[in-house]
Amino acid sequence: MQGKYQMVCAVVSARVSPIFIEKIHSVRIVPHLAETADLNTVADLTSAACMCLPGTIVAESGDFYNQEIWRVKSILGREFKYPETLAERTAIELAHHISLAGRRLIIHPGTDEDWTK
Amino acid sequence: MSQHDNDKTAVLLMRENPGKPLDPFRMAELRDLAGAAGYRVLAEITQRKDRDHRFQIGRGKIAQAMSYNPKKLIFYNPLSPNQVFNISAEFSSQVIDRFNLILEIFASRASTREAKLQVELAKLSYDAPQVRSALALKKRGEQPGFRGAGAYEQSMYHDIRGRMAKIRMELKDLEHIGEDRRQFRRELGFDLVSLAGYTNAGKSTLLNALTGSSVTARDQPFTTLSPTTRALEIKGRRVLLTDTVGFIDDLPHFLIKAFRSTLAEISQADLVLLVADMSDPYEILRRKLVASHKALWDCGVCSPVITVLNKVDGLSKSEMLRKKEKIEDLAPNPVLVSASCGQGLAELSERICLRLLPLGEYQIRLPYTSQSLSQLSRLYETAELLQVSYEDEMVVRLRGRKEAVARLKAADRP
Repeated sequence: MQGKYQMVCAVVSARVSPIFIEKIHSVRIVPHLAETADLNTVADLTSAACMCLPGTIVAESGDFYNQEIWRVKSILGREFKYPETLAERTAIELAHHISLAGRRLIIHPGTDEDWTK
Repeated sequence: MSQHDNDKTAVLLMRENPGKPLDPFRMAELRDLAGAAGYRVLAEITQRKDRDHRFQIGRGKIAQAMSYNPKKLIFYNPLSPNQVFNISAEFSSQVIDRFNLILEIFASRASTREAKLQVELAKLSYDAPQVRSALALKKRGEQPGFRGAGAYEQSMYHDIRGRMAKIRMELKDLEHIGEDRRQFRRELGFDLVSLAGYTNAGKSTLLNALTGSSVTARDQPFTTLSPTTRALEIKGRRVLLTDTVGFIDDLPHFLIKAFRSTLAEISQADLVLLVADMSDPYEILRRKLVASHKALWDCGVCSPVITVLNKVDGLSKSEMLRKKEKIEDLAPNPVLVSASCGQGLAELSERICLRLLPLGEYQIRLPYTSQSLSQLSRLYETAELLQVSYEDEMVVRLRGRKEAVARLKAADRP
């Protein structure tokens, strides 16, 4: 968008068991217009979106350019892991749907028709 | 496999990225797979190196492997068509990667029509891009109308795609048959329970222990390829237990797609028993559980899962508790069993009964016709009849699966 990256980070704060999501505490959507889409930008956006939320951050490895866990952990400065269980994957899928919907709303505001394009 | 074919010799090769420590688990797994395929392993060679574009691993390491004079070189890392071509051309040796090795095992064990089609589809899915790439390489030096690859080789890729489409159609039909079969079994009042888990976790042994059957179970990966179903009764509930093909780490997505009809036995089950080998060291146990969760996710499982930690008979109580505590985030309340000794099977049966959806109570009215009488007779087999009263119509109160009741048009929930 205008030569910049329109990024949307969705955070789902949830309590999970290995198989199911037990409870969703909150959902947060943070939009961000960035010059680049490098690891630092993604990490900053993730840190800002997860601010004040307790627990371990779980994200897909592709979101952090397949970096090793220890490296992402040290960049974020808090507990981090890639998804291991079914419930963690479900939560990530949920966050992906929310972020995609948020991004569509930003790019195509007020239209019902064009969002699929 | 105990019966190694003496002619089948191989050297195993694995390359690790320099940033990561060497992982002995991967090589051990590759060794087991080679054993299961009937290869006698002459040597294992590992190297920490960035990916070599020509040979995947360093040229010196391949020369070292060739000094053992093996029939085949087996790579852990996936090989590109160029790498296969380069290694075969330079060292005059047959070369396969881990995925091909798995397919080789599958092909040797496939006994049913469905399994054979699935293996063929997986092989073709793997071969199609390789053939296209090989054709592109061949065409590189060609000039228009002179020394071309020819129409026959050109059409090879299209032939593969055509065959794949045909197999997919056949598998889709088989998938529908499987779906109908599951529906029919539910209508008969059975609960469907699937055994899933990493390969060689003891799923077939557990099936034998629970049902008293004698399905082939061996201490080797991928003994079971096609689903095997046996019936058992747990506290009055009739259950069909299905043993399925085992999972493995880093399984390509198209292999899961090829085995979709088999894996549907897991995804469409009412309950999944996720079996893991407790005798494995903690790191390996954890890794296998994570790989199993990933495979379950890929299958699209949304039914409840009970984690069953098998092979506990060789462990001390303290070790067992320590491991159980360490994997609590992956398996918070596992059932500890030993399928070979029969330990913990009663607890497992109880847990299965608890996790299955409770049966609903229904009241239905049937007119006095011959068809209704046959339906009533059938209900005695498929559900638990609580009360039958003969009024203006027959009023039947029963407890059972909703599918069993749905067959009767006059179904009416109280």
